[in-house]
Amino acid sequence: MLHLSRRLALKSALLCALASPFFNTSVAADAVLRVSAIPDEAPTELQRKFAPLGKYLEKELAMKVSFVPVSDYAAVVEALASDKLDLAWLGGFTFVQANIRTKGTAMPLVQREEDARFTSKFITADANIKALADTKGKVFAFGSPSSTSGHLMPRYFLLQDGIDADRDFKNVAFSGAHDATVAFVASGKADAGVLNASVWEKLVDQKKVDAKVRVIATTPPYFDYNWTVRGDLDPALIKKIEAAFLKLDAGNPEHAEILALQRATKFIPTKKENYAGIEQAAKAAGLLK
Amino acid sequence: MKHPRDPAAPGRAAALLLAMVILWPLGVIGEFRPWTLFEAQNLRVMGGFLAAFLPPASGGEFLVYLGRATLETLAIATAGIALAFLLAVPLAMASTQALSVSRLGPGAGRRRGEWLRAVLRVVLVVLRGLPELVWALLFVRVFGLGPAAGVLALGLTYGGMLAKVYAEILESGDNRPARALLEAGASRLQALCYGLLPGAAQELTSYTVYRWECAVRASVVMGFVGAGGLGQLMDQSMRMLNGSEAATILLTFLLLVLAADALSGLLRRQLGEADGRAGALAFGRRTLLWLLLLGSALLGSYLWLELGLAALLSRSALTSMADYFGAFFPLDLSPGWLAAVGWGALETVAISALGTLLAAAAGLLLALPASGRYGQAFEQLTRFLLNALRSVPELVWATLMALAAGLGPFAGILALALHTSGVLGRLFAEALQNAPPRPRDALLEAGTPSGIAFLYGTLPEVSPQLIAYSLYRWEMNIRMAAILGFVGAGGLGQLLYVKLSLFQYAQASTVIAAMLLLSVAVDAGSAWLRRWLASPGG
Repeated sequence: MLHLSRRLALKSALLCALASPFFNTSVAADAVLRVSAIPDEAPTELQRKFAPLGKYLEKELAMKVSFVPVSDYAAVVEALASDKLDLAWLGGFTFVQANIRTKGTAMPLVQREEDARFTSKFITADANIKALADTKGKVFAFGSPSSTSGHLMPRYFLLQDGIDADRDFKNVAFSGAHDATVAFVASGKADAGVLNASVWEKLVDQKKVDAKVRVIATTPPYFDYNWTVRGDLDPALIKKIEAAFLKLDAGNPEHAEILALQRATKFIPTKKENYAGIEQAAKAAGLLK
Repeated sequence: MKHPRDPAAPGRAAALLLAMVILWPLGVIGEFRPWTLFEAQNLRVMGGFLAAFLPPASGGEFLVYLGRATLETLAIATAGIALAFLLAVPLAMASTQALSVSRLGPGAGRRRGEWLRAVLRVVLVVLRGLPELVWALLFVRVFGLGPAAGVLALGLTYGGMLAKVYAEILESGDNRPARALLEAGASRLQALCYGLLPGAAQELTSYTVYRWECAVRASVVMGFVGAGGLGQLMDQSMRMLNGSEAATILLTFLLLVLAADALSGLLRRQLGEADGRAGALAFGRRTLLWLLLLGSALLGSYLWLELGLAALLSRSALTSMADYFGAFFPLDLSPGWLAAVGWGALETVAISALGTLLAAAAGLLLALPASGRYGQAFEQLTRFLLNALRSVPELVWATLMALAAGLGPFAGILALALHTSGVLGRLFAEALQNAPPRPRDALLEAGTPSGIAFLYGTLPEVSPQLIAYSLYRWEMNIRMAAILGFVGAGGLGQLLYVKLSLFQYAQASTVIAAMLLLSVAVDAGSAWLRRWLASPGG
């Protein structure tokens, strides 16, 4: 038996030796800033939006910047926690989750001016639904389960209005993304739904909303999206990243393009305390234990 | 003239009634409501979406993404199978009874050998009991974004499957040469190479090639959980309701799956020929060519995916992995959550049972023209339809059906039914073609109407085979139904997806345990059912 296990060990050593050329070693991460974003829009769209910002950051930081597309909100959080990303565009709730997963080291740097007073819109296409209370017993659509403006905050405000999403709706659907929620409501797949005000306004501007779909309520404002870095990144680099974002100025035509793509008027500094309210809301709504 | 009557009609009616009584609660659980398909609003959404299919997206930028995703899908499948092979060979060697030294007779290591094999069999059950998509969903979180998670997920699940089937193939052949070698003091490796492989190599290779074909289909959907490839593109296009992109991606699926089918068929035919010629391992020029091709495909896959597996095995990666998997224990066994998981499991069973049943019915209907009963044109047409149905993975059907029928289990039923009727239709058609024609011809000559002749002349000949195929697919569909919830089609998957999104890992691991239990129960149940059907009393 002993003889056998030595043989096995030898064999596996041989296998490893044979396989080692394939375990490529191209992971020299220091010279590259790895950036990602929660997928609230299509990856092609995210990459298009990121391209000019990436070039700008490359110039300002004098290092290579690569964008890693992702299709799952939570994957961004885990990647940040396991040092596979350096900088990420997070929602308020994903930031709270990242803060917990990284044991408090994740650091929010900047947010858009708009993110300090973000809201969500409750929508319906059903003529009989006139107020939030009428959505009881109906099919209701949220966006992604990890979304702040598409799930957490609306759920929290519904709860404060006496509507428990788990108990009072006939069925809860997760559409996955904000624009998908509009499609669900327009088709009657869901009787009512909720999405972030920014995407709602964009869709209305682009005339992509069915005429029957209308807003029945808007949430009170709360803090949302920010750019977060992992805590063990070089402090000098963190400073440079923050400065690069704050320097963006709508008066400069080159910067204006970047800001327009990010749907921002300008970036402002942010801090962890801004998201304490979200964490409480998440606990109250039962999404954080 | 007396109207020809089916003498077994009362019996058939009674069986149908009984089936309805059993199926009714399943229908209620699975929210089986076909009429929702024809609701004006649903028709409008689906119509609008389908109308956007034409023309399929052909923008330059999109096609570049598509080409890349297609290569990535192929590379994930190839690298995944390679990993599975590396895992499966030692596992199969250790767990197969054909190479058991302890079975030769009472010896020092007998008890230990039996224990080891039992433990290994449990490991194999866990590896293949969880669908590859669940592994991928878990790995995406630890190993980071992109194809590495897909490769590892495929490697583990398929490693488990390959190991089991390899072990069975080795056991089913003639074991006497290996036994003689072992008894004469040969090592297991020697006994394997000289005693077992010459007899089993063809079958082993053929099965591995077939699994590669399955891996291509599986890696197509890996992207739905963020593990790269075509699925990732499809997921996004479906979410944004972008019909023209979805159409192009679906066409790509179709081409890819048909190409993999054809390649795997070709390879296996060649193996068959080699078998006929030489009997043992035919190591000729052609084999060498295939091996070279295989080697370059593997190397290409690894280089293309930039897997960086070494980084996965670093100390920090291992600690973060341990942290992550540690968070899954202990399981959340509170009564409230257990009840929710139990309901999810029931829904999963209902989805799979109804989906498979619908598929068996539709498959039989389609198999009639596909077996050539109504002429060449119909045969070709239905065969193409069957190929199209089965080349679209269940998960993709589910995203489409969630539009047509609304979110929830009914979309899952439809998705399983559509994909599975493609699979079963093809198998049924083959069974019908191979059925002996004489009983039916005799009935026809005696003046029996063709419908009755089919019922009494053909159906009894093929029905055991049809039932066996359907049961086998049902077994697979239960596993599949457990993950359709990732795209909103009900069952356990939905619970798992939401809990993982919220980082509530203790609850998530209860769901995973339920999936595993379900899979083990189905394994045992279907083995028992098959034995029962095969027994003369059944």
